[in-house]
Amino acid sequence: MAETAVATKRPKVIVCDGNEAAAWGVSLANVDMVAVYPITPQSSLVEYLAKFVADGRLDAEIVDAEGEHSVLSVLQGGALAGARTYTATCGPGLAFMFEPYLRQPGLRLPMVMSIVTRDTLTPQSVWGGHQDAMSVREVGWIQIYCETVQEVLDTVIMAYRVAEHHDVMLPVNVCHDGNYLSYGAARVELPEQADVNVFLGERNVNWHAALDPSRPMGVDPLTGGAGGPGPKMFVKYRKGHCRGMQNALKVIEEVHEDWARLIGHRFAPLIESYAMEGAKFALVTIGSMTGAAKDAIDEARARGVPVGLVKIKTYRPFPAQAVVQALGSMQAVGVVDRSVSFGWDCGPVFQDVTAALGRAAARVPAMSFIGGLAGADLTTDHFARVIARVAQLAQEKTPGATVWLNETD
Amino acid sequence: MQAFNTIAFKPEQCTGCNDCMVACAEVKTQTTEISRSRIQIVPADGGGYELAMCRQCGDPKCVSNCPAAALAKDDGTGVIAWDGNKCVNCLLCTVGCAYGGIVYEPAAGHVVKCDSCGGDPVCVKACGEGALKYVTTAELYKRVGDLEDLFVPGLAGCQGCNTELIMRHTLRRVGPETVLATPPGCIPGMGSVGYNGMVGTKVPVFHPLLTNTASMLAGVKRFYKRQGRKVTALALAGDGGASDVGFQSLSGAAERGEQILFIVVDNEGYMNTGMQRSSCTPYGAWTSTTPVGERGKGKTQDAKNLPLLMMMHNCAYVATSSTAFMEDFYEKLEKAMEASERGFAYLHLYSPCTTGWRFPAAQNIEVARKAVETNFVMLWEFEPGQGLRLSHPIDRPRPLAEYLKAQGKYKHLSPEQIEHIQRSLDENAEFIRGLAAGGSARKGVTLPRVPIAPG
Amino acid sequence: MQETQYLIVGASHAGLSALRTLRMADSEGSLTLINRDACLPYSPTVLPYVVSGRSQPDNVALQGEADFEKLKVAYRPGKTVRAIDAKAQVATLADGERIAYQKLLVASGARPIVPAIPGLTEVPFHVLRTLDDAVQLRVRLASIKSAVVLGAGLIGMHAAENLAKAGAEVTIVEMLPHVLAAYFDAEASSIIERAFIGKGVTLRTGEKVVGVEKTAKGCSIKLQSGGAIEADALLVGVGVAPIVDFLAGSGVAIDRGVLVDDTMKTSVENIWAAGDVAQAKSFYTGEKILNGILPDAVEQGRIAGLAMAGDSGLKPYPGGIPLNTYTFFGQQALSVGVDGEGMTDLEIEKRVDAAANRYLKIVLRNNRLVGIFGINRPFDSGVMWELIQRRIDLAPVKAQFFAQPRETARVLMSRTWR
Repeated sequence: MAETAVATKRPKVIVCDGNEAAAWGVSLANVDMVAVYPITPQSSLVEYLAKFVADGRLDAEIVDAEGEHSVLSVLQGGALAGARTYTATCGPGLAFMFEPYLRQPGLRLPMVMSIVTRDTLTPQSVWGGHQDAMSVREVGWIQIYCETVQEVLDTVIMAYRVAEHHDVMLPVNVCHDGNYLSYGAARVELPEQADVNVFLGERNVNWHAALDPSRPMGVDPLTGGAGGPGPKMFVKYRKGHCRGMQNALKVIEEVHEDWARLIGHRFAPLIESYAMEGAKFALVTIGSMTGAAKDAIDEARARGVPVGLVKIKTYRPFPAQAVVQALGSMQAVGVVDRSVSFGWDCGPVFQDVTAALGRAAARVPAMSFIGGLAGADLTTDHFARVIARVAQLAQEKTPGATVWLNETD
Repeated sequence: MQAFNTIAFKPEQCTGCNDCMVACAEVKTQTTEISRSRIQIVPADGGGYELAMCRQCGDPKCVSNCPAAALAKDDGTGVIAWDGNKCVNCLLCTVGCAYGGIVYEPAAGHVVKCDSCGGDPVCVKACGEGALKYVTTAELYKRVGDLEDLFVPGLAGCQGCNTELIMRHTLRRVGPETVLATPPGCIPGMGSVGYNGMVGTKVPVFHPLLTNTASMLAGVKRFYKRQGRKVTALALAGDGGASDVGFQSLSGAAERGEQILFIVVDNEGYMNTGMQRSSCTPYGAWTSTTPVGERGKGKTQDAKNLPLLMMMHNCAYVATSSTAFMEDFYEKLEKAMEASERGFAYLHLYSPCTTGWRFPAAQNIEVARKAVETNFVMLWEFEPGQGLRLSHPIDRPRPLAEYLKAQGKYKHLSPEQIEHIQRSLDENAEFIRGLAAGGSARKGVTLPRVPIAPG
Repeated sequence: MQETQYLIVGASHAGLSALRTLRMADSEGSLTLINRDACLPYSPTVLPYVVSGRSQPDNVALQGEADFEKLKVAYRPGKTVRAIDAKAQVATLADGERIAYQKLLVASGARPIVPAIPGLTEVPFHVLRTLDDAVQLRVRLASIKSAVVLGAGLIGMHAAENLAKAGAEVTIVEMLPHVLAAYFDAEASSIIERAFIGKGVTLRTGEKVVGVEKTAKGCSIKLQSGGAIEADALLVGVGVAPIVDFLAGSGVAIDRGVLVDDTMKTSVENIWAAGDVAQAKSFYTGEKILNGILPDAVEQGRIAGLAMAGDSGLKPYPGGIPLNTYTFFGQQALSVGVDGEGMTDLEIEKRVDAAANRYLKIVLRNNRLVGIFGINRPFDSGVMWELIQRRIDLAPVKAQFFAQPRETARVLMSRTWR
């Protein structure tokens, strides 16, 4: 939850769900162009956008495209012309969007897209789960996961500063959990438009690659092949992309700091350490599940169990250094994922955490927990089980197989 | 350089009816004495007819030979004009003319020659056989000849490819305030977008995905319009991407009325990647994925009629065109440019592929012309409220065989297959004519029976 | 010193044809055009019509100032060249001005021959080569009661016709046995002669003038056969000679005219010649001849222009073909090619209707057209010229060609070089 800094005036407060909060964020971020195509559980988000435009609250070009593939394509075109753009999707929509989605970061085109996370087909499912977002974790977008409705709103705005930063120039997915954040209503403070304007500054989208007759260029010609300048050029682009991702870590921290200073809402930028002081072992969470996890941690701490929590906010680029710093000296770690890495029979965040620790030569026993798939709830009871299992791991140092938290619900 | 309109003669279509000479004599001498006509049709030994008349030469020797400056070529019209006040009747002009185009006329008492009737020659109008044609492409040249070619020289097209012709003509006309999308296919294949940092055009250009050309352009155009900048969003796309995998975005953009000038260059398949079938490939055609063998006899389905589908979107403008009819093309291109400021403008250009259709490189325009003259493809345009109009109706089509035989991709066809193509062609022609007669595409239309492929 | 890439000396048909061609082949190279007349360029061929009043002297310019501006040419009227330094590539004008050139075209034309007849230079006489000549004669025309014309070439015959029409009593004296011998045989000429006689002109063919004396009225012309003709005007039209005096010392090889090869190049580097001044090969014999006719001057100028610009479209000169058109008292005479004198294997088709003043002669050699001549028998001279030059085989159409030369030639044209 956001902590309120020195408020010079009374903030405007509304009660809304995460989808509306995202739409408010878009509205405040002076977005030029939005493209929309409805999909559960994102639909109300684009309905809010359409209504905001219809009401004149959001002065943006709105394109009702005929599918997600075109949604992102329209915005790519708009961005190449210089527009600040936004859309949201999830699940099958994201899958359908995949072709232009792959291309956006390579073009180094900044934009913000919400993924209102949804479990992927099949089995057929319309409910929340991180499988969609996790499936696209390695294609070069920045991914940020929100915990609360307020964080959804604020992060959508902050993400533009990150995306359009000269040293980054990459698209950002702001992920908020389907069902739990998309439809969960909460008290939200609306930042002042004037403050947001100061915070964001002028849009900075296509200085490097433009479709603009006043500075004609060929955008994305064929690059590569064996021989000639191809291999060298291709490597240059790929390395530049990786550098942009790494630069984003620092930029995300700066942006969060600026936001806290200007707006008064402070969020952990990369990871949030909760009750880690004196902790001997820890849980790792991502997204809205963190609320219940924190309650479970509070309850365990009250019982004297030395457990802490690390929440991953910025998932791509992966904040490896911060994770190692927080967890490197733990006796055990349990990572709770809301999605599956089929290749490793565990959760993807677990893979990342263990990879980070391993690369830092920190030998920390770790176990993977998977829960909350397809809209299933993750309660304090589930986390109590996780804490108990990790406590056991800290003792025995022998990690067991992946635990499926809703298996017996 | 200058270019001028000219009267062209096709001897094979001349029947020797003399109507042209009568018309000329009537206008120029107020008599019907065909010996006094400025156009002279001469019966040739062994049948046929030949022509003697002024060619309005570029470097006219009649003018150079005139000692009295009585002849002069007009800079604007190219017509060589005779000035009776200066002529001294020396006849030296007739010595300079290798075409029998300026002759002494006893009844007039001086030399006479064709003056093209001020740009509306009566002989051409009188010719009911199509043997005389007033070729006005020079007007086009004069209008667009000085426009900058916005593709760089040295694009790597196949020999004889007319897609390059389409690209250069289109872009120079549309002009530099353009964002050009060339989705994967022959057009970027020949280097329009470029390779490893090089670029092939002088306007901003990009490869969209094969699937999202119309969508990306919609974004570009929307933003410039929002900013109050007039920028043309132009697509030069192939038939494969447009009719198959890119059809969704094309249809979506057309339905939304995105202000795009979308040009499909239809070479009836995926020619750039090795001549595979697309839904625009015609029935019976050999392609590398509809090969001819023991069982395979080419494509077994008729082509998707993409321009008609686009017409049913009620776009701001839809037309079909051919590089064998450049004036028709320019007229439509200009209408499409104008329409693309109001809504979606779609141009479908038939573009024979020397490589994939298997015919000699020098035959491209001829194959394109035969396609039109056999009604294999029909040239029309559509505007909402105006309906469909045939811009170059062919009432007496040449035999289909002339078109099919010109291409290797049809050489395996059985009589039954040819019959099928003829039937589809007739049905399509009837359908299009019905649309044209209906005035509006949205009323009085009966869909044709879906042709069933034999075998 | 002015410097120019191309210097053209002479502004009549050959010079102007070269000028236009050069500009077509080289849109930028600097051009200078020198005209000895202090006016806009005109054609000598138009002069008889200035005399007759058909053409106004101020309305005969072949090119105007606007054309020169368009062609980007420095036009220098009223200038004559005194000398050429071929080594330094400099032309010196009569007034001492020097012009450095990179390429030079000699198109200086010809001047009238004044025959060595005793007493001729002591009497006033007319020639017809310049606009001034024509204007002078025009001014006197109405007052001339009697005139003698020396020479029955085109200039003489035109002048005689004009004088006769103006009411003068005209006598034509010609050494050769018939008029226009360069273009027509005796039979054809007789048709023309009859027309002149019918208009009251006296013809003294096969006659020579042996002396001229000044008289109170004008002059007295003594004939070789005896007797004398009194006349108040004398016009000398016995022919022209190339103007080559300024080339003395230049090294340019000169015979009767400036000798040129098939690209109109002279014997000296960077100097070309075309038109009446040039002596180029004959189409028929290959010998170097003076072929002083207007269409040939245009063609030679064009070839010289291409050669000077180094244009790859240059095709060698096919050789001069005598060719002319001649209208007299409203009748037409056409002459294309030669009548085959001195040639073997000729096939000649000739149709004469003397009563109707109609004449046609077609000369073939090995089924190729050599020459075609007509009086009041129209055909397309230009098409016939092409048939000769292209050596078109007429064997398959010979009968038709003899019967209907115009129509048959048109079919051949339409098929062959349409």
